[in-house]
Amino acid sequence: MFRFRLAPLRAAAFFAVGFVVLRVGYRVLFDGASGAGFPLLELPRIPLAGPFSHIILLGPVTTGGLTNAAVSALPVAALILLFGALNAVVDVSRLFARGAGRGPLRAVSRALVIAWATFPALLDSVRRVRVAGRLRGERSIPALLVPVFEQTVERALALAASMEARGFAATRVVDGVCERPVVLKDAALGFGDATDWHLDHVDLELLPGTLTVITGSTGSGKSSLLYSLSGLFQHFIEGDQAGLIEVGGADRAVTPPRDTAGFVGVVSQNVRLSFVAETVRDEIGFALSVRGVAAVIVDQRAREVAGRLGIDHLLDRGVQALSAGEASLVAIGAALISRPILLLVDEPLADLDGPARLRVCGLLERLAHESGVCVVVAEHNTREWARAADAWLELRGNRVHLLGPGEVPGPVRSGSGHAATPPGATAGAALASIRHLTVRRRAEVVVDDVSLDIAAGDIIALEGPNGAGKSSLLGALALGADPGTVIVAGRDVAELGHRDRRAAVTLVPENVDDLLFSTTVAEECRRADRALRHTPTGIAGPATAVRFAGLLGLEVDAAGHLLRRHPRDLSAGERLCLVMAIQLGAAPALLLVDEPTRGLDPVARTLVASALRRASGTASAVVFATHDREFARDLATRTLSMDAARIAADPLVGTP
Amino acid sequence: MSRTQGRWTAGILVAGSILAAAGFAWPLFVAAVPRDAQAAVPIVAFALVPALVVALAVTLDREMYTAKTVALLGVLSAVGAAVRIAGTGVGGVEAVFVLLVLAGRVYGARFGFLLGLLTIAVSSMLWGGFGPWTPFQMFACGWVGAGAGLLPGLGRLGTRGEPASRLAARLEIALLAGYGIAASYLFGLVMNLWFWPFAVGSGTGISYAADASPGDNVASFALYTLVTSTLTWDTVRAVTTTLGIVLVGPAALSALRRARLPRPAAARRRNVRPRSTSLRGGETRTRPSTAQGAAAVPQTGPHPSAPA
Repeated sequence: MFRFRLAPLRAAAFFAVGFVVLRVGYRVLFDGASGAGFPLLELPRIPLAGPFSHIILLGPVTTGGLTNAAVSALPVAALILLFGALNAVVDVSRLFARGAGRGPLRAVSRALVIAWATFPALLDSVRRVRVAGRLRGERSIPALLVPVFEQTVERALALAASMEARGFAATRVVDGVCERPVVLKDAALGFGDATDWHLDHVDLELLPGTLTVITGSTGSGKSSLLYSLSGLFQHFIEGDQAGLIEVGGADRAVTPPRDTAGFVGVVSQNVRLSFVAETVRDEIGFALSVRGVAAVIVDQRAREVAGRLGIDHLLDRGVQALSAGEASLVAIGAALISRPILLLVDEPLADLDGPARLRVCGLLERLAHESGVCVVVAEHNTREWARAADAWLELRGNRVHLLGPGEVPGPVRSGSGHAATPPGATAGAALASIRHLTVRRRAEVVVDDVSLDIAAGDIIALEGPNGAGKSSLLGALALGADPGTVIVAGRDVAELGHRDRRAAVTLVPENVDDLLFSTTVAEECRRADRALRHTPTGIAGPATAVRFAGLLGLEVDAAGHLLRRHPRDLSAGERLCLVMAIQLGAAPALLLVDEPTRGLDPVARTLVASALRRASGTASAVVFATHDREFARDLATRTLSMDAARIAADPLVGTP
Repeated sequence: MSRTQGRWTAGILVAGSILAAAGFAWPLFVAAVPRDAQAAVPIVAFALVPALVVALAVTLDREMYTAKTVALLGVLSAVGAAVRIAGTGVGGVEAVFVLLVLAGRVYGARFGFLLGLLTIAVSSMLWGGFGPWTPFQMFACGWVGAGAGLLPGLGRLGTRGEPASRLAARLEIALLAGYGIAASYLFGLVMNLWFWPFAVGSGTGISYAADASPGDNVASFALYTLVTSTLTWDTVRAVTTTLGIVLVGPAALSALRRARLPRPAAARRRNVRPRSTSLRGGETRTRPSTAQGAAAVPQTGPHPSAPA
């Protein structure tokens, strides 16, 4: 509640002085600075006319008049100072945090708490978008504001979904029937008439103590099916349901997620976006505290859950300071606090590296098979779940197919995976050379003395665990490093201006959305073309829209329906291709791509692989960082492995 | 929320705003009050406006208590506060109206009003600027947001199903920019009104005089506000607001419209789908699924399935 900050006091002093000066100014200007004392200025009195006839401008100024004016301003100035002092010692945000749970202003005070927790994310977003702007060569400030704003709204939605699923604003509490966690009878899901996506005739019964994996390609509706169980589909994203969906005996068509939070736990895909509280302790306890459970009990339960997940050492940590794996565990803990009989988990493995994946898989398996929870996971990565899953729900067409434990769905592959021969086999001339590149972030060395030669036509895969320095290496190559360390096409990248630099090397970052600024794909492409007009090379190749279609393997006319869309409505694979098309516009000698397969299903991966192959050519090379061994093996002409800031294998001995 | 309850809320909001307006305009009313009570008028005004802020916030609180509204309010007021504070850093360029106008337009008058209130609250918390002036700022900003929500709908523009035509979209931006200019000057006017007697004090030509005729006081105030802010701050604010709405308006409007507030279930059934239902990363659910040939019969399903 109490603390000391100097800034409010300083600001108040500034305003108080300003107030006194203004008061004196008004007096001088409007004939109020005369009086006793030594005359300073003999200004003429200028009477005004019309409705202002009672006002006289200027007039003589005397020392006494000035002193009087200043003294008369002192009470208000003192008041300003007083409030400055109060603000300096009272921490008002704590007052609001107290009201966030209950009382007549609970919505407003919860909104204030969220606002408070949003600032770090906002700063982070601004930082990311500034980097993205540099990567894209876009310098107009309004254009950069748009992605910041979009990310903010996106965060609000993710937050809202996670609050809703955890019982925020629940009006009546529904009790669940443990024996029947999920029953679907002839259920159908859709979005009205406006789209062609729908699922029909879904019949399903899931039992306690089982782990079920929903699988299918991106866009097949895995998440929608999962959300229809959590109720977010019907009551949050406003999809339409027909037939019967019962969760713990409650009819989903009429029961919103908030009312079933007591027995349904939901873990969203992007767990970091869905964190509501500031510390891990508050985050895990959120579902209980919005229900008005006493703070002591919430705290004890939070510790109990954290202990069970082996994350009790994180309890006092801020949620922003968690690693990807830790964040997943915290989100699972937050869903477990109300002891759910049904746990719904959306793509839990997408952001995780090997060890963290094993941990999360093992945890969910134990929850199902030892604690008797009915666990449902949506995932297109089927391999990790082969051992744990009791049943698979495979989405194909508009139907859901139930497969037993033995019948693991085969990896959905569309032919061309191995077919193309790497074009790099014939190329040879060194296109880029990296010499003793070291990158430091604060005190830490994130890239340590990396040397490397890249030939035209190379497609290089950069592998390694989380935190190995892959992204830092790519970032340093694209945005400048120490002089003499990165030479592309015979020129030192550190000495190039931002336009020339983009002609040498461009990066497609991991968060491709950061690079999207416009409201339609077509406009996005035009913006990229406009930016290119000012480059030394001009528009070297085809326009961005044509290139985008080309990467997708389409004619530009066939891509018309995509061009009319909002960039964020494209599928993940299509978005990546769009950003690649933009970044290839500057005809870079070297294209860098960070984690191109993150969150992609096998079909989209094939799409991206052929796009990357098309991007490499006689005058250029591609380097991509990835966790995905299989993808790297199929595509790369060379594989480099990075660990602890160094390239582990000898980079010059390629392993095609 | 039932219709009668909605009407009650609307009534309370209108009555509260009128009372608050009287609180802002206290210098113009003093002459009508008996001479003995005149000294108490500013004190009443200073107690009335904060009380009204609380009363209206409480009235709206029940209605706004849904996860989506609260999350959007929180996140957008953080943006507003950040914009406001960043603006103070670069010579008082006030761009916060851009956000208030756009959000009020998309989410309606009540949301806009609360957003104005909260933006001031959050930014005051952040830099430590709470004081007697805060409730007045809250009301003035709340009105700016609410006013944007009350602007006419321009026909088909209100629907979010299909992208509006180019011309209609431009018309909307022009309307909002025009409103932004008006709001910028009116904001300066009402903020000057309640503070005028304190700023000038007594003994000048434009001083507030309790015994002067209302006409004289209005003229004095007009000159005061012209000199104080209309020619300077308000004009800067009008220019930045217009620029902001024209430059970021179209994209920001579409971002806001992608995230809709919950509406009554009955209205929902008939509604066209939004362009996106995205919850995470904007991944689309609108694509047809990739059918892998003819499907097998589901084990538990009595219905034979057909190829998609």
